[in-house]
Amino acid sequence: MVTRRSFLTATGAAAALAMTGNLPDLVDAAGIPHRTDKRPLFTLGVASGDPLPDAVVIWTRLAPGPLEPFGGMDDRTVNVEWEVAEDQTFRRVVRRGTAHARAEYAHAVHVDVRGLRPWRHYFYRFRAAGQISPVGRTRTAPAPSDEPVVTMAVASCQAFYDGFYTAYQDVVRREHDVVLFLGDYIYEVGVGPTAGVRNQAVPVDFAGEIFTLDEYRARYALHKTDPDLQAAHAAAPWIVTLDDHEVEGNWAGYVSEDGIPHDDFLVRRANGFRAYWEHMPLRLDQSPDGPSIRLHRHLRYGRTADLSVLDTRQFRDDQTSTGGWLPPDAVSTDPARTITGDAQERWLLDTLGSSTSRWNVVAQQVAMAQLDRKTGPELELPMDTWNGYAASRDRVLSGARDQDVSNFVVLTGDLHRSVASDLRVNFADPSTPAIGTEFVTTSISSGKDGVDADATGHALLAENPHVKYQNVQRGYLSCRLDRTAWTSEFRIVDRVVTPGGTASTRATLVVEDGLPGTHLA
Amino acid sequence: MLRRLALVAVPLTLLVATSNNQVEVSATPQPVEVIPLPCFPAGKLTLGMTNTGRKPAIADMRVSGDPALTLSRHQFSSYLPVDQLVKAPLEITVPRDTAPATHTVNLTVGNEHVDVPVVIKPVPARDNVLLGEQAVASSTNGNMRLCGGVDGNTDSAQWGAGGWHDNTKGVFPDTYGVDFVQPTTIDRVVLQTLDSTTYPAAVMGIREFDLQVRTGSTWTTVAEVRGNVQGRVTITFEPRAVDAVQLVIHDSNDHGYSRIVELEAYHN
Repeated sequence: MVTRRSFLTATGAAAALAMTGNLPDLVDAAGIPHRTDKRPLFTLGVASGDPLPDAVVIWTRLAPGPLEPFGGMDDRTVNVEWEVAEDQTFRRVVRRGTAHARAEYAHAVHVDVRGLRPWRHYFYRFRAAGQISPVGRTRTAPAPSDEPVVTMAVASCQAFYDGFYTAYQDVVRREHDVVLFLGDYIYEVGVGPTAGVRNQAVPVDFAGEIFTLDEYRARYALHKTDPDLQAAHAAAPWIVTLDDHEVEGNWAGYVSEDGIPHDDFLVRRANGFRAYWEHMPLRLDQSPDGPSIRLHRHLRYGRTADLSVLDTRQFRDDQTSTGGWLPPDAVSTDPARTITGDAQERWLLDTLGSSTSRWNVVAQQVAMAQLDRKTGPELELPMDTWNGYAASRDRVLSGARDQDVSNFVVLTGDLHRSVASDLRVNFADPSTPAIGTEFVTTSISSGKDGVDADATGHALLAENPHVKYQNVQRGYLSCRLDRTAWTSEFRIVDRVVTPGGTASTRATLVVEDGLPGTHLA
Repeated sequence: MLRRLALVAVPLTLLVATSNNQVEVSATPQPVEVIPLPCFPAGKLTLGMTNTGRKPAIADMRVSGDPALTLSRHQFSSYLPVDQLVKAPLEITVPRDTAPATHTVNLTVGNEHVDVPVVIKPVPARDNVLLGEQAVASSTNGNMRLCGGVDGNTDSAQWGAGGWHDNTKGVFPDTYGVDFVQPTTIDRVVLQTLDSTTYPAAVMGIREFDLQVRTGSTWTTVAEVRGNVQGRVTITFEPRAVDAVQLVIHDSNDHGYSRIVELEAYHN
């Protein structure tokens, strides 16, 4: 039996510390105390992610001065003990060890904890310099042969200056098994001295657009100081992917939206990727190699769901024109065009084709369903989304159809609006069968409070027979997957520009098992 | 049971090769000059790191300076491909009327150190007496700089970097001006409101405003401008010694924000 007390008398540096009975300083990898900064270290909370049946990544970062240069740390390596228990009081510790928080990773710690049991809740925490982190709760994935009910929250787009993260309070309250985050965790544009609607003093260093690694790191730190965001990370494992603003608005492959030269943009991209990995509960497989990162990956929730996580930024062709809402043109309809890159597209279709799960989920960034907002027969489509990469979409949707992928559900962020759509290979012909469903989650905060329906929202419902629902308020998607149905509750909060908003279900949409397409419950 | 479960846990950061630290540090221009006025453009230094090793690396530069200097950054970290200069800006400011002298900014990457001389210049003689003086505004939008309307940049095309507007969209009046540190005689004020090809003054510029000057604690309205559609508005008046000058803006042509590219004042 490993007890809580044994955490305090663990081997190595921690044992040396415990014997002193006084734990004031950080300790470097050689066990030598080296600094006298007594401020709290775990200011950015804890997180877990990418659960497997026997493993989960746990994360923290030491930052006594989260908004200061180097997070308030010096450049020495620090021992960080971690432990994982079956109970919240850490009486039944099942795994523990010591990791090294290194300056070259901004003193972030990622531990890929193995040897866990499937579909179990676990509690985890870290200790450094005698300080113990907040406790996080996580859950491993189900055993491959099991088919439990799975609940997931789906979120995206959390502009710090546009609103409070009230929606996350509801994410925590409803106790999801996993949280999917589909991009725009940070925004690269400046945060003013009062942080927009938050009326919170932010150092002047945050006023500009970010380019360098220190700037990206500081931006993650700023976001992660939010208590609601920390609570949501501590409540469940997250499965994350990035979109454009983790690097630069509307970047595409090697192309900068700001017209930054190729070589300089790749450095910026590398800096963005590096800070992203440092701050997300991701495995080493996802750690970037300079300007390249492997984010598309496959995760299984037993026989309940197969999850294909995509990266529709890194390998895409450049947007046509500005990437705004435009009529289709020769570029957007070019048959050679891709939003995934060829390798990822092949991987996705292979993954979908070999799945034996009930629900086949693609977690990705930008809208896949055709979204026409122009009244009448002409089309006006959002060109930064799959709508601007029609051939790429055709290949994926017809590939899913041809392989008879069961219960195909695409989860999407980016739009700052909720949209539920049937997916069909030919959107122009509503008489053709639906082959799947897309649920676009709205933003957590981006776009401030929003409205129930704006002009675009009305047009989307009027012009697109496959669009079943839209809303332009803030919130997230709360999903329940069982053997008979997928249920998506569009949770919205009545306001985000001030704290204390109230969450409610604006609409519930259902996909019946074996019946592609969605309808209001 | 525990022994069986105690399988491999991988501390990920241990598996990643540590970066080399053959990094060349550069900074231009040297020396960098700083004018000790609160809204004068800061001294601008371009920091550079070049990886002269054989493998790409992550490098951290620590930036520090004499206490007299205010630095816009104390850290510059980046991914460094091999043999590619990677740059970041450093802005240096000093309090008003800091004595002319040469100070130092220290740049450190690993064992590499570079000391950059920073020359504090005397305050220059200025025809435009608002140039670089402390601006005062009713509010400033988060994407703009308070100093943007008195920084000497009159180019509407560089509006984002060199202009000012308020933070209260559709709400008027807004105010923008300068408090002088001593009574200053002026007889002409020039407003350059936003007026570019993309954003013409007739669409986006300031439409209605009062020019006010303050003597002691008394504000006096010198001129009222209504229905303006021009980019550049010049107001002349009898010379007077004033403690402050401001525009009280009542409307803009888009009825949204009050946009000032540059506000100037002169005495012939």
